[in-house]
Amino acid sequence: MAGEAVKSLRISQVGLRGVVGGGLTAAHVLDFASAFGTFLEPGKAVIIGRDPRASGIMIREGVVAGLLACGRNVIDLGIAPTPVIQHTIRRMDAAGGISIGASHNAAEWNALKFFGRNAIYLSTAEANELLDIYHLKKFSFVEWNEIGKLRKEANALDPYLDELAEVFDFNTLRGFRVVVDCCSGTSALILRRMNERFGFSFILINEKMQGVAFAHEPATNKDMVGLQLAPLMQPLGADAGFLFDADSDRVAFATEDGTPVSEEMVLPLLADYQLPRGEGKLIITNVSTTALVDEIASRHGGEVVRVAVGRQAAIDALSIYRPEQIALAGEGTGAIMMPQFRFVYDGIVSMLAVLSMMRERGRKLSEIIGAYPKYSILKGQVPLVTHRMPALLAALRETYADGCASVVDGLRVDWPDRWFHVRVSQTEPVVRIISERRGDAPRELHDAVIEQVRSFA
Amino acid sequence: MPPREHLLKIGVAGIRGVVGEFLTPSLACSFAQAFGTYVGGGRVVVGRDTRASGEMLMHAVACGLLAAGCEVVDTGILPTPTIQMYVAATRAQGGIAVTASHNPPEYNALKLFNAQGLFFNTYERAELLDLYHQSDFRQAPNEEMRRVITDYESAPKLHFGKVLAHVDAERIRQRKFRVALDAVNGAGAVTTPGFLLDTLNCDLEAISVDPTKPFPREAEPRPEVLGEIAELVRRCHRDIGFAQDPDGDRLAVIDETGFVLDNDDVLALAVDAALRRLPGDVVVNLTTSSVIDDVASAHGRRVYRTPVGEANVVETMQAVNAVIGGEGSNGGIIFPAVHLCRDSYTGMAFLLDRMAETGEKISTLAGRLPKYFRRYGKVAFQHGRLGPLMQSLEARFPAALKDRSDGLKLLLPEGWIHVRASNTEPLLRVAAEAKSEQQVEKLYGEVLTLFG
Repeated sequence: MAGEAVKSLRISQVGLRGVVGGGLTAAHVLDFASAFGTFLEPGKAVIIGRDPRASGIMIREGVVAGLLACGRNVIDLGIAPTPVIQHTIRRMDAAGGISIGASHNAAEWNALKFFGRNAIYLSTAEANELLDIYHLKKFSFVEWNEIGKLRKEANALDPYLDELAEVFDFNTLRGFRVVVDCCSGTSALILRRMNERFGFSFILINEKMQGVAFAHEPATNKDMVGLQLAPLMQPLGADAGFLFDADSDRVAFATEDGTPVSEEMVLPLLADYQLPRGEGKLIITNVSTTALVDEIASRHGGEVVRVAVGRQAAIDALSIYRPEQIALAGEGTGAIMMPQFRFVYDGIVSMLAVLSMMRERGRKLSEIIGAYPKYSILKGQVPLVTHRMPALLAALRETYADGCASVVDGLRVDWPDRWFHVRVSQTEPVVRIISERRGDAPRELHDAVIEQVRSFA
Repeated sequence: MPPREHLLKIGVAGIRGVVGEFLTPSLACSFAQAFGTYVGGGRVVVGRDTRASGEMLMHAVACGLLAAGCEVVDTGILPTPTIQMYVAATRAQGGIAVTASHNPPEYNALKLFNAQGLFFNTYERAELLDLYHQSDFRQAPNEEMRRVITDYESAPKLHFGKVLAHVDAERIRQRKFRVALDAVNGAGAVTTPGFLLDTLNCDLEAISVDPTKPFPREAEPRPEVLGEIAELVRRCHRDIGFAQDPDGDRLAVIDETGFVLDNDDVLALAVDAALRRLPGDVVVNLTTSSVIDDVASAHGRRVYRTPVGEANVVETMQAVNAVIGGEGSNGGIIFPAVHLCRDSYTGMAFLLDRMAETGEKISTLAGRLPKYFRRYGKVAFQHGRLGPLMQSLEARFPAALKDRSDGLKLLLPEGWIHVRASNTEPLLRVAAEAKSEQQVEKLYGEVLTLFG
């Protein structure tokens, strides 16, 4: 399909991402790594790590070569979760880092995620500079006697866990009976170590890391939670169940009674945990995320800032505020950043926050979730016809002129009890339509919007 | 206009250049991916010498090979001949040595080998170069990705075992030769001390055997740069001294008086040793001394001449099933019974074996060779001038036998003259040889006069 061919490689502010061999080649990797080596401030080392995808070794070799050639010393963590890579960048005061892994995408994909100093994703301005260097292909290769050296770091995990242990009370959390679906990814490394070192009793499924065939699609959503994890909850007598993506930055969960919970619930739940804890009152999320988060925020005197969908908009929004103003940043996909961990998307942290909340409130997870007002969300997609998008958005705005419109990303229209959002996907050639209502699903609204979108296809 | 420096050269010999601005990791990666595509996937061995850029380029090469669906065997720092033998012994589809051999430290290069651990022939090399230029590489998807395996241990054992099969090792061991070594902090720094100390039971004084340090002298073991090892031989009363280049294929030999033997004479001693053991003919390049013809004819064998370049010598050796060959002035000994490649270890073992067998000093063995006088030089090359120069040279020596297979070689009753364009630098190389000092000076002088 022509559309898919177009999207098998994506070079953007978010980095480099594609189907290995199909769109993403060794040449792209070398050039991007060389561009990053040129872009970073000189002097300090660069931390790299990868998820278990088989192509990760090829990409690692290319990344190492490009960085060494730019005179960078490289510290390779081997197969490592993205949050651990980010933690190590800060701990070692490195110039930055690269996480090799396509996160929640299928196994044939791979990607480079770039982190600057302090382990933060590159801002749009920085990412643009990196892209310019990449496209210009003028790299700062050093003389032969200034080429960098490679070093392997075997234990990055323990210092990361030390930091978690400072923020969360492991003594009270390790008694929980928790089942985790690792989906053949890197979360197993962390969780096994937590069992060994801190006496947690995580029961792991799909814990063997796989390079080619993941146990199932590595997406953190309700369907994937329902696939293997949720049915195990009651038979195993578990208190909670969590599902991680391949590089452990996203999470989804199931309650003790075996109910898969919508990935949309992670952010509101963590907002409820986080807002009463500190002075930060801002929640940064995107225009596609559930309105339940607004309701929870207003209970705690918090405020929701909505930006465009995608990591880049969230990163840029973070840089506008002082860290202490912010309670939380995240998406409806289960990717959440918390200020205690210096704004790193970290599924493990999200899980520990949920467990802490259960402990503090002395409630079952299903009771905590059940106490929230019901919001019903509908998601749909229609094949994209790029050149008609502006006309489509204008027509929708006309049709729903009685609502409150936002054009931060596509079009979102809000009414007091419901909203819809229409935007172009960044990863697939489709238009995404999301509708939500407090109470029952806004089926009529959703169908009407989809029909109007389709009339432009 | 000053002559252009060859900072990067991509050709049938592979890819070679000054690392950094010119030889980039991307170029190395693409070339390796072309290579991986050409050998059709499977296992590919990668090794390197000790150059500071070696590790970086090794990773670039591994990236390209993996991207083509190959499995990579990383052998770490090894001499090039050791890598070649390991390729042949391990059912690999081919091998890549990351080394610029005798070039200065700012250079690096990829040497490419087929499944037998040999250079590709002329036609294969042209095919591979076309593939590289077409960028039509195999792009393996995730499910066809292979790993990097490391094996730092087995290759040297394999190599030494093959060499020892062709000498009387016990006889050498009993003599407990007093040997000096200069490994130029190259790949030999990792393997040669063990070879001389443990395998051949020598009493060893070694310098420049730290693979983490830069080359302490010019990489090519020319007599002019071997002062330190020559001094060591004299001071520590060594029976013989050996000097390697950074990738351990070339060998220079110092006699017990501290005199650096002429490389042509070293090759002649090795040819003599080989011809005593095995039947077969000899192949050398056009610039190699006539001493080889004398040694071969003493054994009733024939000498084939080829254009300069290891690959050319090897190709002819294979074609005529030669017993030994080499390139005199380059310090290269090729003994196919061990492996069809330039190998300093075979050279060291042969010389020690002859010393043990005869009980004679190395200077005595070398002194018994017919004496020739040689002059080598180079002249800056100007495009378009080569033809007229060659013609005037031919006109000056109308009676000479002419060989035009690589530049022009004129065979005269009193000696010979060879003029050719360098493969690696913008130079004309001039060589002359004769039976007496005056004769060689006369021949050499006439060439230089003609070239004005």
